[in-house]
Amino acid sequence: MSSEETESKGIKRRDFLKVVGGGVAVAASIGCESDKIEKLIPYLVSPDNTVPGVSTYYATTCRGCAAACGLIAETRDGRTTKLEGNPDHPVNRGALCATGQAELQALYNPDRYRSPMIRKNGKLVAAKWDEAFKLFSEKLGETRSRGGAANAVFINQHESGSFPAFLDQWLSDFGMPAHISYDAGVDTEAIAAHTAAYGVAWPRFDFTATQLIISFGADFLDGWGPSVPQQLDWADARAKLAGAPRLVFVGARRSLTGLNADTWIDCKPGTEISVARALSGEMPVAAAAQACGVDASRLQAVVDEYKAAKPALVLAGGHVAGAAQLLAAASALNHANGAIGTAIRPDQALLGYEGIAAPAQLRAAVARMNSGGVSLLMVRGANPAYSMPRSTGFAQAMAKVPFKVSFSSIMDDTSELCDLVLPDHHSLEQWGDAEPVRGTLSLQQPAMDPVFDSLATSDVLIRIAKGDPATAAKYAMPDYRSWLIARIPGGAEGMAAALPKGIVAGTALARTAARPALPAIAQVPDIATTSGDLYLYVYHHPVLRDGRGANKPWLQELPDPVTKLTWQTVVEMHPLTALKMGLDNSDLVVVTTSAGKLAAPVYLYLGIRQDTIAIATGRGHVNAGRYAKAGENAFDLVPLAENAAGGIALVSTRASVTKAGGSMLLATTEGSARQHLRDIARAIPVGELNGGGAHKAEPEEEHLEGDASHEFLPGLRSPVANDAQGDFGNPNSNDKGMYDPNHWSNMAKRRWAMTIDLARCTGCAACVTACYAENNIPTVGADWQAAQILPDRTGFGANITRSREMAWIRLERYYEGGEDGSADFETRFIPMMCQHCGNAPCEPVCPVYATYHAPDGLNVQVYNRCVGTRYCSNNCPYKVRYFNWFGYGEPHRPQYAFPEPLNWQLNPDVTVRGKGVMEKCSMCVQRIRGAEHRAKLEDRPLRPDEFTTACAEACPSRAITFGDAADESWSVTRLIKDERAYHVFEELNTFTAVVYLKKVNHPSPAAEPAHA
Amino acid sequence: MNVFTKPSVSLAFNYDSRMALRRKWLTVSGFIAIAAVATMLSAFSGASTSQGFSPVQPVRFPHPLHVQTLKMNCLYCHFSANKSPDPGMPAVATCMGCHALVGTDKPEIKKLAAYWNKKQPVPWVRMHKVPEYVHFPHMSHVNAGVSCQTCHGPIQNMNQVYQYSSLNMGWCVSCHIGQSNPPFKARYDCAACHY
Repeated sequence: MSSEETESKGIKRRDFLKVVGGGVAVAASIGCESDKIEKLIPYLVSPDNTVPGVSTYYATTCRGCAAACGLIAETRDGRTTKLEGNPDHPVNRGALCATGQAELQALYNPDRYRSPMIRKNGKLVAAKWDEAFKLFSEKLGETRSRGGAANAVFINQHESGSFPAFLDQWLSDFGMPAHISYDAGVDTEAIAAHTAAYGVAWPRFDFTATQLIISFGADFLDGWGPSVPQQLDWADARAKLAGAPRLVFVGARRSLTGLNADTWIDCKPGTEISVARALSGEMPVAAAAQACGVDASRLQAVVDEYKAAKPALVLAGGHVAGAAQLLAAASALNHANGAIGTAIRPDQALLGYEGIAAPAQLRAAVARMNSGGVSLLMVRGANPAYSMPRSTGFAQAMAKVPFKVSFSSIMDDTSELCDLVLPDHHSLEQWGDAEPVRGTLSLQQPAMDPVFDSLATSDVLIRIAKGDPATAAKYAMPDYRSWLIARIPGGAEGMAAALPKGIVAGTALARTAARPALPAIAQVPDIATTSGDLYLYVYHHPVLRDGRGANKPWLQELPDPVTKLTWQTVVEMHPLTALKMGLDNSDLVVVTTSAGKLAAPVYLYLGIRQDTIAIATGRGHVNAGRYAKAGENAFDLVPLAENAAGGIALVSTRASVTKAGGSMLLATTEGSARQHLRDIARAIPVGELNGGGAHKAEPEEEHLEGDASHEFLPGLRSPVANDAQGDFGNPNSNDKGMYDPNHWSNMAKRRWAMTIDLARCTGCAACVTACYAENNIPTVGADWQAAQILPDRTGFGANITRSREMAWIRLERYYEGGEDGSADFETRFIPMMCQHCGNAPCEPVCPVYATYHAPDGLNVQVYNRCVGTRYCSNNCPYKVRYFNWFGYGEPHRPQYAFPEPLNWQLNPDVTVRGKGVMEKCSMCVQRIRGAEHRAKLEDRPLRPDEFTTACAEACPSRAITFGDAADESWSVTRLIKDERAYHVFEELNTFTAVVYLKKVNHPSPAAEPAHA
Repeated sequence: MNVFTKPSVSLAFNYDSRMALRRKWLTVSGFIAIAAVATMLSAFSGASTSQGFSPVQPVRFPHPLHVQTLKMNCLYCHFSANKSPDPGMPAVATCMGCHALVGTDKPEIKKLAAYWNKKQPVPWVRMHKVPEYVHFPHMSHVNAGVSCQTCHGPIQNMNQVYQYSSLNMGWCVSCHIGQSNPPFKARYDCAACHY
């Protein structure tokens, strides 16, 4: 069949018919022959406690960032297919962010090292472990015999737990200094300030205990510290509705946290300190407003509000120039207003951030490398060749080191410069521990056998030490696992008892090795004196972070929560600035700083100051896998500038922006940022709330003949179902088939429904990645996946520019106000997926009955019936149906979205859709069927809230609730009756099963009384 | 066919009749070709059947001997058929549990032992397969009292297993709507199996 398809290319239509006419006989005879032969491969010896086709769940620890959240890894037939948050874990309490979800794509990354690699003739070539061990031992011996051990450098990706101390011990046994615990994505400036003021690196911020939060560029919802627990606390605080805290965001650019703020003080970069001084009364408001370039009356309102609010919580981020003073001022304000002990809880500190080295330490190492003083460099997990600003010259300095070893599991910019690669297991393949909160160990266990011929670095170290007579006696343990078990209270039995829960009381081994003092820092110049026309605001991408997510297609394709852009690096610019410069969306510009230059398209963004441009980090890798090549590297633009604690000041310079000529289509998933009076994402001022309880009685509307009821209808069967004919269409029968609530199948007794609380939703998009993982959704944005026909529609994101993204759930982001370009605008986030309409517009237009309404309330898409007319998508008012333009699931096609071994992740419960088929949110029907089967197997009815959809399970703000709206015992039925409940496009009589609860707005107390 | 290809007088009024004739011919052959392609595609989509398929397996496992003579329960080997969507193929260790001692001189057992000694699983040829877009949970059927034979036929008599049922959708549905003997009833909604 495929041969015919290739023949059909490039021939005339008439010839095509002839060819097909002749080909049918051949093809028909092929069609009658037996299908291709498949094998059924049994186990050699059946493993204990597993049943083929039934998932096993392993509790383990996420290493996606420093927070060390708890994971439940779902593993079936030996392959991990889904990660969920561990509900018992003290950090993430069952939720999981997009970065954590995407750890699976690190595990199954097609660009992982398949074996050790040794540089031969300038190229890394595959080698055997024995050979690699021999080389590493030799080089270690050489370094020691030449007296170079004391100058060796080991850079480890920062992690919590016993391994850092174990590594330090090993290094000291070989005469080497303590390792540098590096994490480019963490705000080390803030850590230093927290430690000085509160005694811990990262206290828990209890947002429920405050009335006002003032954030100076502290993006606590998107990357400033542990996003998941902070989102959980934030959402809980906002869910208090009338008693919820207001959030004031101070900064030059509104991040996701900034968009969630009720008020934005758009101060110039580097002048945040003036606002802080105005709050403390050290500086008159008028002078501060003048210095920051903001409206004095707006600042005055915030200052007044701050004075009235007790306690208020002041947070500050450390990536802007002059952050040290700002952070100190924030701590002083918190001391003064009584936030410590109430809103700031050092006693519930998150220990994952303890012990991170400042990037200045790494820069000091670069200086030593440059002077030829480093004979051996070892890097594990971290990628400093990318994530240190280019101006530090890390990659060039590496060339001066005679021997470089990488323990990286996936190829990255640093490992590709090394001479020896000893690939580490992924965290889901190895043993470990973390101490995320004091006194609690979070265990890390392998959820599956290693994908490739890798070896845990801990075990590599042990094996090397065993081979050396001087250290062999000390490293008598068979492997790291047994060393770890010996540390757990109760030993092997204690470990076995603790593993199912994933946590156990205990403490990780502490690092005792001496660490170098902070080197002299590279001072930040006064930002106002740097050359350039516009301030340059470089920030960490919310999901790609410091670049570690760049080779995970889920994260590349996940629209940035703020800009809704995928696969591309853009220059964010205020619309009025662009107007002045004669620029528009997608025009290419060149941004130049003293450190370097970068060309990227312009993206017009309302949430940025007119004298500032912003660029996200994370993209534009040189050598970190096939997907990581997308975009440009913002670190190229960052000059060498450090704040007082040695943290990189990402915002430290101005830049000149020139028109490059030409344009590049933006790979956006957004249609319009405005609602155009459609009332999709609704909000209600806090003053208008009834205080919970029943739905406010609405005035009786005029009744029109044939008009449907305007009452809320989730929980009731749809009008379509009422008309359904059972008994196979026999017109004389009264049997409505399974649509009859009294039918023996009991199917119509349930009505699956969902509520989404917009007062909780932060727009973080964790649900989107969870949905990709659960439902085998292909990513389509890689440049080889697009048809190479139109020259302006090529490159990364090309398919997205043609609206071919497949995200079953998307985060819509709408602005209210700010049409004149002012900073006073509100943002509303609304997750949008198939609404499972009771009266669905898609259903009657399908000519082949591929989409229909199931008796239990689902709008079902039957892939094998679908012939791809796309009528349903045309008729869907919510635009939530997605079409497979190419064979994303077919390995022989260039558009294949799951190159080996990414396909190992595919959920076996969900069909991988073929080319030409429509697909959409199924409300995780496989989970519904799975739960029904399980209940039947255990001979019991479904328990209320027994299971939920993938989006709801991951949601770190707990905004999504799924359940049976026809059964009062499910939580969803209570939420549907909330006074804030509404249906999107209710006027279309679609009777949706997804019910939204209005966002609650918290206007400034100084503002006019809410316009009712 | 003639009816459709007769040149139309009314068309000749507007067009050169030969042109019209050619267009008609093209249209008709086009439709036939499309219909044929659709038929072909549907054949590939899994609507065809491999009923009666009976491949030679790498080890000739005789069901009658094990089931009838030795009275072994199906679930002894297909151990997860009542608790998993997957019926479970016996691990080689399960076979060797007996055949380390029993029948070691027989040629087929020698083949089995060879796999075991090489630490290789037996590469059984898969026979019963529904398309990927169909979900068939064994446990729900087994626990509802559907016997193995209902779908797999007189498997206890098959020295070489063959596919007894068509496994087509019509065959599934006939049982789900209660037209089988003995009658079973189950949900016949599309999304009961297709998702």
